[in-house]
Amino acid sequence: MSDHTLPHHHPESGYLPVESKSIDASVRLPVIILFGNAIHWLVVAALLSVIVSIKLIAPGFLGGISFLNYGRLAPMARDLMLYGWASQAALGAGIWLMARLCGRPLGGKNAEGFGGMLLRTLIISATVLWNLAVLLGTLAIFAGYSTGVEWLEYPNWASAMLLLSFLLIGIWAVLLFDRRSTGRAEVAQWYLVAAFCWFPWVYGTANLLLVWKPIQASAQGPIQSWYCGSLLALWLLPVALASAYALLPRLLGSHLNRRNLATLGFWMLLMLGGWNGMDRLIGGPVPAWMTSAGVVAGVLFLIPIFMISINLLGMHRKEALVADSIPSRFLLMGLYALIVVGVIGAIASLPDVSGAVRFTAFTEAKTQLWILGAISLPLFGALYESLPHLLGRDCWSPVLSGRHYVLTLVGLGMLVVLMLLGGLFTGLALADPTVSFLNITSYSYPFHVMECVAQLLLLVAALLLGANITIALAGDYLLNKKTGK
Amino acid sequence: MHRLPTLLSGIFLVFLTSWLGLVAYPALQLGRLTPVADTDNGGSLPPTYGGQAIAGQRIYATEGCISCHSQQVRQTSITTSDIDRGWGVRPSVARDYLRDSTAFLGSRRLGQDLSNVGVRRPDAKWHFIHLYHPAAVCEGSLMPCFSDLFLVRKIQGQRSDDALNLTGADAPKEGYEVIPTADAKNLVAYLLSLRHDYPLPEAPVKKNGAAK
Repeated sequence: MSDHTLPHHHPESGYLPVESKSIDASVRLPVIILFGNAIHWLVVAALLSVIVSIKLIAPGFLGGISFLNYGRLAPMARDLMLYGWASQAALGAGIWLMARLCGRPLGGKNAEGFGGMLLRTLIISATVLWNLAVLLGTLAIFAGYSTGVEWLEYPNWASAMLLLSFLLIGIWAVLLFDRRSTGRAEVAQWYLVAAFCWFPWVYGTANLLLVWKPIQASAQGPIQSWYCGSLLALWLLPVALASAYALLPRLLGSHLNRRNLATLGFWMLLMLGGWNGMDRLIGGPVPAWMTSAGVVAGVLFLIPIFMISINLLGMHRKEALVADSIPSRFLLMGLYALIVVGVIGAIASLPDVSGAVRFTAFTEAKTQLWILGAISLPLFGALYESLPHLLGRDCWSPVLSGRHYVLTLVGLGMLVVLMLLGGLFTGLALADPTVSFLNITSYSYPFHVMECVAQLLLLVAALLLGANITIALAGDYLLNKKTGK
Repeated sequence: MHRLPTLLSGIFLVFLTSWLGLVAYPALQLGRLTPVADTDNGGSLPPTYGGQAIAGQRIYATEGCISCHSQQVRQTSITTSDIDRGWGVRPSVARDYLRDSTAFLGSRRLGQDLSNVGVRRPDAKWHFIHLYHPAAVCEGSLMPCFSDLFLVRKIQGQRSDDALNLTGADAPKEGYEVIPTADAKNLVAYLLSLRHDYPLPEAPVKKNGAAK
């Protein structure tokens, strides 16, 4: 995996300017802290997801205790997945990739001096603030202080902490781009700049209008849906795609052709991403044109997805390089997951289908595939690729990495297929008013049982990743001790 | 595309389209909807909530009821099942949420839609027993017990009027009673106030029963 094994460095594959060692050193600590914490939240979120899925089989499990109710644990698990794991891993991957792609250490010329140290301290403090916000926000839901707004359950002070922390970290990614030493901007860099600008806007707007100073509730529906769609399509997905655009060409020993396609895909994704959440409101209490816009956006969203996939999957690849490399396998799988997400989303936004499946597990399957597939898989790829560079040695256990890869895919595939099927069945039953609601509940029972198994597999996968990174970092600590560093 | 200002202006403009359509427009239009006069009974529609119901909304939010329950009735040319199921007599419209602090639209129906639960289940006693142990009144329900919204206490002198009439395994020990806490009473007041069976100009209710 070391740099010199590659036959040549094509300008389009970017990513590897000179001085990569000093660049890695300048972001090492913040990025490792972000990744490490992201993984521990992933484990907690996976554990909570298992408990939540057991509660759907046995409502009495851990029952009668208010803070362990489904209504509190389910949003805790979702928010930990979004802010504890995905957003934090995206921050880590984003900072590392940006520094690499810009050919510039964090802190510029003073990276190794006092200025660089000060900057690193600032960013590390911000990561601590982020994790504190996630921890306290989660505990607040647990203790009964949830706002009750989907995906924005954290109380106002916790969301304010989250936003402040993001600004303190994200600004440096944008500044790195402005002062890069490389000439032409890479596709991956556009995605990163866009993502780092959007999160504050999306998260700030949504919190302002829904939590901090709630607007009259008749207007809240569209804003809620806009937030859910934008968080995925305009913040997390762009970082995932940036990882693919930056790393895949190099990992596959190839280079990106058809830059026009990449450009078009980028702008179309931006254009449609914000409308992507509107399928959550089809038939709901909003003006009819919004519903129509939701249907149209759901279907059109396939176009940028196909453009990006053709662009990246169409690259000439050396299969031998793929087979050996966990990062490239994760990155490629993430792209396949994105295609499936796009197809499911397009189907689910057709009025006939939406009418039946909108409130069922079908919609939830799409959300899960977004977060755990299209977003998390490329982030895993970036994580597996970056850590050896940051630590300066091959730190992963191949056995654990391989098992993590397989279990993640099996668990995710199983979960999504079951939820799609279960959602379809319950949706068809719900559409028939002669079938009683409690009857429908009993139909979904076998699906809930199997979903629980899938969640267990995902928990084991998360634990394997946790063990892997613990060994990697502990190994580093021991190594340092031995060599007297 | 290679200079930050160019890239940023492009990103800004593209982003503005969905922001204007889905944030600014709702804020300026839907956010300024006003109540309409109730010509039949006086007052205004949608009706205002009582103090208990307003407090109950907080419990609805903090207990995460939205994880399983939606509050929106759909009616399109294709989707009629919400009304056929008796979850409402007309489709929900934006004005219905005017009095809410948060619009609990919901995205999952692991439980039933609650837009009109106050019409369907007007009895507070039923709600108390249902919250205490859902399966006691709905066999096979997935809903968890909210028994910690209730107090089990020794009967002092006379049995309280609020005490739940529980039977079988749910019944408290001899000499004890189960009474709802203030939170439970507020939550039930809120649930009972969920009635959207009145007509609005943009969503009339057809006379003679259900608008099928």
